[in-house]
Amino acid sequence: MSLQKKGFGWGACLLLAAGAAWAADSDVAQLTKDPKVWAMQAGDLNNHRYSELKQITSKNARNLTVAWTFSTGVLRGHEGGPLVIGDTMYIHSPFPNKVFAIALEDQSIRWKYEPKQDPAVIPVMCCDTVNRGVAYANGKIFLQQADTTLVALDAKTGEELWKNKVGDPKKGETTTNTPHVFKDKILTGISGGEFGVRGRITAHDINTGKTLWTAYSTGPDQDMLVDSAKTMTWTDGKMAPIGPDSSLKTWQGDQWKLGGGTTWGWYSYDPATNLVYYGTGNPSTWNPRQRPGDNRWSMAIFARDLDTGMAKWVYQMTPHDEWDYDGVNEMILADIKVKGQPRKALVHFDRNGFAYTMDRVSGELLVAEKFDPVVNWATHVDMKSGRPQVVAKYSTDKGGPDVNTKGICPSALGTKDQQPASYSRKTGLFYVPTNHVCMDYEPFQIEYTAGQPYVGSTLSMYAAPNSHGGMGNFIAWDAGTGKIVWSKPERFSVWSGALSTAGDVVFYGTLEGYLKAVDLNGKELWKFKTASGIIGNVTTWEYKGKQYIGVLSGIGGWAGIGLAAGLTKGTEGLGAVGGYKDLAKYTELGGVLTVFALPER
Amino acid sequence: MKRSQLLLLLPLVAPLPALADDFPTSGRVEYVLECMQKHDGKQEYLYKCSCVVDRIAGALPYDDFVAMSMALRNQSLSGERGGVFRDAPSSKSMAGKFRDIEAGANKACAVPQK
Repeated sequence: MSLQKKGFGWGACLLLAAGAAWAADSDVAQLTKDPKVWAMQAGDLNNHRYSELKQITSKNARNLTVAWTFSTGVLRGHEGGPLVIGDTMYIHSPFPNKVFAIALEDQSIRWKYEPKQDPAVIPVMCCDTVNRGVAYANGKIFLQQADTTLVALDAKTGEELWKNKVGDPKKGETTTNTPHVFKDKILTGISGGEFGVRGRITAHDINTGKTLWTAYSTGPDQDMLVDSAKTMTWTDGKMAPIGPDSSLKTWQGDQWKLGGGTTWGWYSYDPATNLVYYGTGNPSTWNPRQRPGDNRWSMAIFARDLDTGMAKWVYQMTPHDEWDYDGVNEMILADIKVKGQPRKALVHFDRNGFAYTMDRVSGELLVAEKFDPVVNWATHVDMKSGRPQVVAKYSTDKGGPDVNTKGICPSALGTKDQQPASYSRKTGLFYVPTNHVCMDYEPFQIEYTAGQPYVGSTLSMYAAPNSHGGMGNFIAWDAGTGKIVWSKPERFSVWSGALSTAGDVVFYGTLEGYLKAVDLNGKELWKFKTASGIIGNVTTWEYKGKQYIGVLSGIGGWAGIGLAAGLTKGTEGLGAVGGYKDLAKYTELGGVLTVFALPER
Repeated sequence: MKRSQLLLLLPLVAPLPALADDFPTSGRVEYVLECMQKHDGKQEYLYKCSCVVDRIAGALPYDDFVAMSMALRNQSLSGERGGVFRDAPSSKSMAGKFRDIEAGANKACAVPQK
């Protein structure tokens, strides 16, 4: 441990020393308690994306100014964000998934890691070659590469420590999620629901990468790590065992083998119960007629024991999906009052347009309400059965193949995609980036071919009709009552993860490239136009007494990065971001991390 | 281009008084640098691209410029995300209008369309 401490800031040193008391544990949970560092992509185990830092406040946020920028040299969409541990920042890029360790002092690059990956993985990534960032624990940086390789690097040198390939891109299996360190394990998932892959999560030893358990989303009970008598689900208004073959019974024949149920979202972990929470994605194909049944456990929330992988409870949000409403969005753990009663809650803003509040210990369904009033595919969630009440005219299954079902809200993007919301421990409210988009959806018959898209539908999307005309909202949500507190319209969908702080400021980015700061009433305090559209998540940290805010820009698409990407030899000097001339040492061109702080007085 | 037509296309725009000519310096510099780069960084394009951005700034408030130029760029995004920009009538019309305004400015400033 002593070697790892070298080069870290004082706060981190003290915390590392304290963390060493837990022999089997990693230091990351302890590190997340120090607001000066940002040790997990979501800030903490609970997916709060909240910071206790309050140098930047609702009074002074309008003065924020650019402190420095860093270009990753990669043009595609930049999701996720940096980690900050002590005096070092760790930042990733989309495919080819470079990792940089940057000295906060002068933004020089301490080390750079660039894996060699077969570019054949690019065409099997459904939704751009994004990556949602690295993880940290015990002096190691963990990267989940696009080609499904999970790799551990020495945080000091960038040297590879171990690798483990968790999937096969030839079958359409890829990875975009951040790996999650919980206690002494690292968990990762799989993407490829559009290619008929069979979703699962795997847990690995942080020291060796060895796979400790694998839990599938579909199939026989032993593959899913469920106990037919002990794994519970919400049934007729109470929790009851799921019973034998709970997945097999809900698919025709062996369709569960191509069942989807991928796991590319944001997991969380509650040390008190040792339960890890995550969601599963859409069933394959998008043509619902081809896969009759509830298609369990796609579109579900799983609560699993971290040590064994065994499921304690599971809840399916969208049985027999007909719209691509993946259930992978972040699982936020918060102790809040629900209908007046204090609860250990799990709050989940699903793509299907309903925000769910569950009892995270028992799995009981407490609240399920629309977080955008235009959601129309279901009238409501029946609280006894837990099932959404589907409106026949928006059912793409009833319409059937080659029938265009029109006016469905939300679109396949969901009322919200993976871009994570923030939970303010100060206000008890959730700040949620959303889509305000509807669609026409036409399924068609499709045959499965390994490694080929298994989508089977065409769709067109548009701004929610009869509303404000924009395609997004940024909302504040009360998960105890299931009500929107305020809603701020946006011209475009909000695809950036939010951050709330003890300084009473909430930050989010927009597709136009603005980083925005709003107050607790949703009033805009400040905005700054960065180099490109923002689909990354806002992060904050403190270094040498100063609070910083950082966010990645870079949405992908031709010239989508704008200036920073376009610079070539003749004008390279212009790209010396941060004012440095030694480009090789200090910067590359491409997606940009922009860092803000308050000016010196 | 009549301003009233633009307003119809951009429902979120607050009612505008006289055009503000409100592009920040950074917005103009960014446009000029990118435009120069497209034309191999030649010195003459410092003047020509400045001419273009000044004309665009005369035709559009900065927020609209940002939204409309972004709608145009993002039509090439891959996957279902790009679908929002390719399909949605509001995005498509923003992109189309911006293309027209920029083409007009390019012509007036002797910048070949690229």
